[in-house]
Amino acid sequence: MQNHKQGHLGRRAALALGGGVVTALAAPNVRRLRAAEVLFVNTWGGIWERAAIKNLFEPFTKDTGIEIRPVSPVSFAKLAQQVRSGAYEFDVTTLGGGEIIRANQAKIIEPLEGTDLAKSPPFPGAVFQNGATSHAFATVIAYQKARYPNGAPAGWADFWDQGKFPGSRCMQRYASRVLPLGLVADGVPTDTLYPMDIDRAFRSLDKIKPATRVWWTQGQQSQQLLRDGEIDMIALWHARVLELQDEGKPVEIVWNQAQIDRAYWVVAKGTPRRDAALRYIEAALKPERLAGFCRDAMLGPLNPAAFNHLSEAEAARMPTAPAYKGKVFEQDVLNFGGDVNAVTQRFERWIGA
Amino acid sequence: MDEAAGSPAVSRRIAPQRASLRPWLLLMPLLVFLAAFFLVPLAQVAMMSVTEPEFGFGHYASIATDGFYLRVLADTFATALLVATCCLVLGFPLAYAMAAASPNMAAAMMIVVTMSFWTSFLVRTYAWMVLLGRSGPIAALLDWIGLPHGELLFTRFSSTIAMTHILLPYMVVSLYAVLRKIEPSLLRSAASLGASPTSVLRHVVLPLAAPGVVNGLTLVFVLCLGFYVTPILLGSPREQMVAGVIGQQIEEFLNFGEASALAVVLLASTLIVLGLYHRRFGLDKLWG
Repeated sequence: MQNHKQGHLGRRAALALGGGVVTALAAPNVRRLRAAEVLFVNTWGGIWERAAIKNLFEPFTKDTGIEIRPVSPVSFAKLAQQVRSGAYEFDVTTLGGGEIIRANQAKIIEPLEGTDLAKSPPFPGAVFQNGATSHAFATVIAYQKARYPNGAPAGWADFWDQGKFPGSRCMQRYASRVLPLGLVADGVPTDTLYPMDIDRAFRSLDKIKPATRVWWTQGQQSQQLLRDGEIDMIALWHARVLELQDEGKPVEIVWNQAQIDRAYWVVAKGTPRRDAALRYIEAALKPERLAGFCRDAMLGPLNPAAFNHLSEAEAARMPTAPAYKGKVFEQDVLNFGGDVNAVTQRFERWIGA
Repeated sequence: MDEAAGSPAVSRRIAPQRASLRPWLLLMPLLVFLAAFFLVPLAQVAMMSVTEPEFGFGHYASIATDGFYLRVLADTFATALLVATCCLVLGFPLAYAMAAASPNMAAAMMIVVTMSFWTSFLVRTYAWMVLLGRSGPIAALLDWIGLPHGELLFTRFSSTIAMTHILLPYMVVSLYAVLRKIEPSLLRSAASLGASPTSVLRHVVLPLAAPGVVNGLTLVFVLCLGFYVTPILLGSPREQMVAGVIGQQIEEFLNFGEASALAVVLLASTLIVLGLYHRRFGLDKLWG
């Protein structure tokens, strides 16, 4: 209805302007018209945004003429809020595995059924729960090299072992990431983690709780704790450790039993720019673009073809690299083992108790 | 103050209607702004607390019976009280020195006190992380003196010190406002009548400074009730502030109803504190 009205007004205005003016301004007008089509993409800022602009946004604008405006910060609550209010600050955003389940339950993302992406996916698993499978990061163990000269921790069982590896610990204040680590530490094989035995996970966490001086909530906080030597062994995102290593800090990363978190591009439900948004998320999965984005943003691509565009040294910094297959493990968000919200509430109370 | 209170009374005699309207007209832009961007959203929050997901007072009932929420609320108030007290203890000598100093010196000190406002809140919090850290200067100093100390960071000590640092300027400004107005001749006459410096402080300065003390305490207490980032980043994992729980209910659980109810409870408790203050001292004195 509204579009109809706008079109009508637009025609009238054009007629009123008169043919001569239109002709005189034709060339810049075409450009302006093309540039007028805009897509708002929610970004994480920092290197993530710079990598996205260079490798994903600019090539897309070049192909389609659709301008992309980055919008920060990422907020799941905002995604939900804008569907309620109908005022869209961003049309496209990325969601993690747990979030995409909740987003579908709350019906705040566009279904992908019937789209080109769903009809001919570029790789197996490219479409998952109305999201376009894009990239991943990993929660890894990192430690102060000087603190443990007689051997590196090999996995989460060692992280839990305060006899063999004494010292302070730190983990993210995030239930659905930390509970599986507790199970792995307790000896559950990584391929049979899900559905999780939640009570067993909490019993395992009870053992590491006294050594956990702080539960980090911000990525830069986790990095700061490792950089300052405040914490001896920490569970944090792989890129944060790589950055410190690039700075020459004496910290070590353990790729074994790294826990992979997938990220999916999704389209905000009901956005008036749905078509452009769908074209964008399809283009964002192209191997070469995704490879460049992941290299610059320190992530791991989930389109296997992206590794054709990456060197071995570059791939070694990515948790999804073929070399780490079998060593790393993934979350199974569809088969969690309990109500995620209830488990998170329990986790928060457990921390404060 | 007295002049402003007097003028409407004078002008009422001349043009009762128009003169009393004029200040309101000047206030209109602000009032409209506040109504649109503060009162309406606030009313929405209050509405959501009883309508999401269905109509009823279920959220309030669960807050009142839930040990976790009650503990977090009690913790929040205890923290705010502790921080307000620390601000008073540290701020009083500083404000006193400022009041006693020459005008130029006092201005310089005021700039130093308020300078921390120029730095972003997060940067200040991270700075405390570095200062109190294991390899930071304070730990090094204590080691050098030979003073045994446990971990400084991630304790109630570290979060309290950081919040005190952030809120101290409010206390100093409130105290300075009253201390500055104390007549130096009063202190001199007390001393000349044989009062020792401590009894001058107890019997002359403190009673005259009492409004500023109460102002400062109330201001810091109320502001501190809304804090949560600092305790999460610097405090022990056990410390939880109600504002943090509200944020989490929205960001993680999309639980707008429960979060709204908690926000209303926090707002109501703040209003109760301000109400008590108003009955005893008058709210118009809060800003000195």
